Amino acid sequence: MSRTIKLSLSEPELIQALRSRDSKGAEALYDMYSAALYGVIYRVVQHEEIAEDLLQEAFVKIWNSISSYDHSKGRLFTWMVNIARNLSIDKTRSKDFRNHSKTEDIENIVLSVDKGFTTSINPETLGLKELVEKLNPDQKVILDLVYFRGFTHVEAAEELDIPLGTVKTRLRNAIITLRKVFN
Amino acid sequence: MKDLKTYLESGILELYVLGDLSREEIREVEQSIAQYPEVKAEVEAIENALQAYAISNAIEPSESVRSKILNSLETSPVEEARVTHLRPVESSSSFYKYAFAASVALLLVSVILLINLNNRLRESHTQLAVLQAENQQFSNRVNYMDKELEDNKKFLEIYQQPGQYKLVNLKGSPKAPAARMTVAFSPQKEEVMIDLSSLNMPSNDDQHQYQLWALVDGKPVDLGVFDSTDDHSGMKRMKSVKGAQAFAVTLEPKGGSVNPTMEQMMAIGNI
Repeated sequence: MSRTIKLSLSEPELIQALRSRDSKGAEALYDMYSAALYGVIYRVVQHEEIAEDLLQEAFVKIWNSISSYDHSKGRLFTWMVNIARNLSIDKTRSKDFRNHSKTEDIENIVLSVDKGFTTSINPETLGLKELVEKLNPDQKVILDLVYFRGFTHVEAAEELDIPLGTVKTRLRNAIITLRKVFN
Repeated sequence: MKDLKTYLESGILELYVLGDLSREEIREVEQSIAQYPEVKAEVEAIENALQAYAISNAIEPSESVRSKILNSLETSPVEEARVTHLRPVESSSSFYKYAFAASVALLLVSVILLINLNNRLRESHTQLAVLQAENQQFSNRVNYMDKELEDNKKFLEIYQQPGQYKLVNLKGSPKAPAARMTVAFSPQKEEVMIDLSSLNMPSNDDQHQYQLWALVDGKPVDLGVFDSTDDHSGMKRMKSVKGAQAFAVTLEPKGGSVNPTMEQMMAIGNI
């Protein structure tokens, strides 16, 4: 990595900078969130070039519609990740995308992603990464399907052939585990 | 809320953060976030956990992407991609609202213009009528003056060609000693005219008129009637006569008589 200095702002400062369309705001937005959003996008579409285009699309949308973000309804990151995920899911449902790549088996994809990118994962989060391994496999599969693959909980229930209630419980328990890990 | 704990544990808040709820469910959750601090705290805890999870799964995009994306942000137009997934209906309905308002305004302006134009058209019609009336008056006046000029020419002709016209001066009878008038007579053309400019007769009332007679071989011949108030310019043409020896004027009932009333003889003159 040639670039060593990354811009970082507090969330209220960042929102302020984005709303005033300050170029510093754009840089901070990219430096703070590009990797996390790219991680989500890449896991949904499984294609580097498409994922990069989608990342750009997501940032343009975030940049242009920041005025509609309402702080009282949730955190900025939640809003952004939903924009990125929705764009990515729309892409996978488009005709040209389906012609482009025949869907692989889910587990294989998750494995291949993690194998392919272990080296580029932020070293600071490595410790956390290990803690995440504490998620029980059932919980992790559901969380990754919904969070990283863009499945709805209804689709996940169908995919895994388990009742809706079970999906919800496992999702909640997975997040509770994460809360314990990250607090 | 009766059962806050059940609500917090129902899993709906997790789905809210994951963006996996219907529009209506989202509205409900947003309401309870605003209403219950416990719900707000729970949602924040879920958000923090998922954000940390995303960061721990972050993938650094390749170096070239950064400048490409930052450039596209700087050049992207402000109003480009409004958040259509949050309020798509509102933006399109507001377009129709504006379009409707614009149509109504346009209609109003058109109606006002039309009324205005109509008023001006009516005004023009009135002006045109006035002008036509004036024009008519003017041409009447021109006709009248033409006729007057014609009369004056004739009048001049009579005085300039004494050989053709004989001017006969009629003098007042004892009944009207001050009466004077001149009659022009052309034996060749058998024309008789009264010179109105020299007419000086006592004024007659509405019931009576003067009647001019020619004496032909001692017999009176009717030459027509006239009023003392006749226009005092030009000549008045009377009936034609052949071989007159004298002219006389009597006062007769309006319209004239078949035979002259000798008691009312007013003026007489021999040729």
